[in-house]
Amino acid sequence: MNSETLNTLDSYSKNKYKYGFVTDIDNEKPKKGLNEDTIKFISLKKKEPNWMLEWRLKAFSKWKKMKEPKWANLNFPQIDYQDIYYYSAPKGFEKKPKDLSEVDPKLIETYNKLGIPLEEQKVLAGVAVDVVFDSVSVATTYKGELEKLGIIFCSIGEAIQKHPDLIKKYLGSVIPAGDHSFSALNSAVFTDGSFVYIPEGIKCPMELSTYFRINAENTGQFERTLIIADKGSYVSYLEGCTAPKRDDNQLHAANVELIALEDAEIKYSTVQNWYPGDEDGKGGIYNFVTKRGLCAGKNSKISWTQVETGSAITWKYPSCILKGDNSIGEFYSVAITNNFQQADTGTKMTHIGKNTKSKIISKGISLGKSQNTYRGEVSFLRKADKARNYTQCDSLLVGNKCGAHTVPYIDSKNNSAVIEHEASTSKINEDQLYYCRQRGLSHEEAVSLIVNGFCKQVLQELPMEFAVEAQKLVSISLEGSVG
Amino acid sequence: MNIQDNYLKNKKNIFFSENKDIQTHREKLINIFENDGFDKKNNESLKNINQKNFIDFKYRYLISEETSVINNNQENNYSIVSVNGQCSSFKDDKIEITKILDEDYNDFSKNDTIENNDHFVNLNSLFLNSGFKIVIKKNNNIKIKISNIITDDDLTIFQKNNYICEEGSSLNLIEEYENKNNSTSNILNVIKLEKNSQLNHFLIQDNSPNHNLIITSHSSCKKDSTYTQKVYNFSEGYVRNFHYSELIGANSEADLQGIFFLKDNNTSNNKTFVKHLAEDCKSNQVYKGILNDSSKATYFSNTHVDQVAQKTEGYQLSKGILLSDNASYFSKPELKIYADDVKCSHGSTIGPIDENAIFYLRSRGMSKIAATKILISSFINEELSSIDNEQMSEIIQKKLVRYLSKVK
Repeated sequence: MNSETLNTLDSYSKNKYKYGFVTDIDNEKPKKGLNEDTIKFISLKKKEPNWMLEWRLKAFSKWKKMKEPKWANLNFPQIDYQDIYYYSAPKGFEKKPKDLSEVDPKLIETYNKLGIPLEEQKVLAGVAVDVVFDSVSVATTYKGELEKLGIIFCSIGEAIQKHPDLIKKYLGSVIPAGDHSFSALNSAVFTDGSFVYIPEGIKCPMELSTYFRINAENTGQFERTLIIADKGSYVSYLEGCTAPKRDDNQLHAANVELIALEDAEIKYSTVQNWYPGDEDGKGGIYNFVTKRGLCAGKNSKISWTQVETGSAITWKYPSCILKGDNSIGEFYSVAITNNFQQADTGTKMTHIGKNTKSKIISKGISLGKSQNTYRGEVSFLRKADKARNYTQCDSLLVGNKCGAHTVPYIDSKNNSAVIEHEASTSKINEDQLYYCRQRGLSHEEAVSLIVNGFCKQVLQELPMEFAVEAQKLVSISLEGSVG
Repeated sequence: MNIQDNYLKNKKNIFFSENKDIQTHREKLINIFENDGFDKKNNESLKNINQKNFIDFKYRYLISEETSVINNNQENNYSIVSVNGQCSSFKDDKIEITKILDEDYNDFSKNDTIENNDHFVNLNSLFLNSGFKIVIKKNNNIKIKISNIITDDDLTIFQKNNYICEEGSSLNLIEEYENKNNSTSNILNVIKLEKNSQLNHFLIQDNSPNHNLIITSHSSCKKDSTYTQKVYNFSEGYVRNFHYSELIGANSEADLQGIFFLKDNNTSNNKTFVKHLAEDCKSNQVYKGILNDSSKATYFSNTHVDQVAQKTEGYQLSKGILLSDNASYFSKPELKIYADDVKCSHGSTIGPIDENAIFYLRSRGMSKIAATKILISSFINEELSSIDNEQMSEIIQKKLVRYLSKVK
């Protein structure tokens, strides 16, 4: 390796987290720790009906008997669940503001620092934003317009009160509370998140979007998102995250459930850029997310796209259960790890119905001393006639202190199903670098160009609003590497 | 009967039970069995198998009256018949064959490439009752053919063989496993390749439905050495092929290949693992399987590239054809890479026979069965045509024809 590359790597690894700042807002918290009282407190604060509290307590009793899953290629200290606040809502939010002018100006300022000017977004991008600051939705825009179409887009807390039938029917139907310890934990203590219902035959005219933000120190954020697309409907949902700089590890265990009925399509895109810890691996967010979609009806489609650049630990497997005949599942992922970050991410495609199709494109980039693992399972059950899967997972290594791993599980129980899997691992091609430099690009520009090209297959799947941000994020993650 | 009782009861028949070191090691192994439980889901060594046959087995071993034969009929050409895992001693200026010794056992038990929860390897160490050691002396180029014979029904053979290829030597090794009785062989081959040596290892497996064969190998390659292994599994009984390779010297190579043909209720578990621990090494792992009726197969492949192993090339390929609705195939091609200047890839496909290809052949007047057979043969043609030994090629062709005759 030449000295320039070494310099590049050095500056890479010194690249600091740009969005690290803390907004000072008084937080209302219960005591630290997890017990039945905490759950009752949360339920009371959120004015939940009794059946919801019972549902939570049932999940909690399951959680108590469970152990964290250990199979992932991750190293982290034991999580002390009793040392975490499970509820934090900015003060004065018992009554929700009717419009943005009622929102705490400090909050608005936070968003501005992040480059999400709500006012501007409303006008320019046409995106309805359901902003989650810590755990309570603070502002919801474009609600009226969506209501006209019969689309329900609100916080899950509101949905529990206003649409109990839908919640009772679908909450926990894709990710049962007892699925594993993180899903049980989330089911017991989730505080907020989004709820989307698209009625029959409606194509949602705009991208629905939520910005998550973790703010109060030591507050684990437990989001619960539920999206239901009724027959023949379409929705594209965006989720993006940036978090302020903190030294204590913050636990995040979100659950996202998608349900696509007959002929419906859900597109779920994520850009995740939470605080990854400093260059010595101190601090950073522990991200244990369960995302699962159910293609319940015929011809339904669920597509996951994710760009993962943040978090000290990423444990995330957005999966699809392809139950309906002819249903389609897709997974596009870019995961970049730097410094001491660890990512174990991938997907699970379970083919149950006939003619089901799935496609997996995963790109992993490891820098510094990080470990990046792709872990995916594709299974064809007995009745999945003519099912089809294509998987491609590529890894790029920059520097010789990092690791890139690929662990696919492939299981076929049907003889008409066809499965193809390929994977490759390599470093940045010297010839490509040479070619770019010869044409006058600096080393940094060349690396950035090549990495962006490497990720392009995934980035192009993102909606316009996100694609720009994601590309920037990729460049920022590489910045310094590249200099 | 549990493992410990089984062991204690048969202790006097088992190798090295007087040696204290080995005794402590075995106690550890018994502990693993006691504590680990038998978690079929997370233990690769147990997937799809009927535990009862293998863990709660009845220990029985005979030293046969028939003695093994070693022939040196042609120059540099040896044929060996090993009986119940034993082989008589032999020595000339090219090779040396002896019984395995205590030190060979220790030599292996310290190796950490094989996971300590591989129950079959642990059973092998625990109940060891046979085995031999073959040393190929410096700069010799020889051929050996070993026929493994088992003389009686219901025997449990636990065999550990050591092969050592000294510097500059070259060995062409053909092993035949063709047994018609209801025994279980659990064999562990430990292979050492010194500098600049070469080993071409062929394993032909063709046992009757009630004969179980569990074969594990561990090869380590020093500088400039090459290990090539080709497994042809036509067995109608259970076969487990787990093969590990360590590339410890620069510019060494490991090539682990296998094809298996399964039918009826047969099961086969396969695993290859290559650990790159030095620079400029190459590895290749290719397994192909054809599964008919209700057969089941698993294939785990793994390439591990250590931080120092720059300029590595490691490739994996797994292909499966399912001929029947009830057949199932599980594959897990893993890459674990800690060095940046590497070229590693894996590919895996599972599916039926290409319908378009069948259509093409049928439109040219062929029956469906004939077309299927042609396509199966072509699927593995690459492996068959690469056999440079005419006699062996013929044997394998015959077995293939026999398998194809049952395909409907």
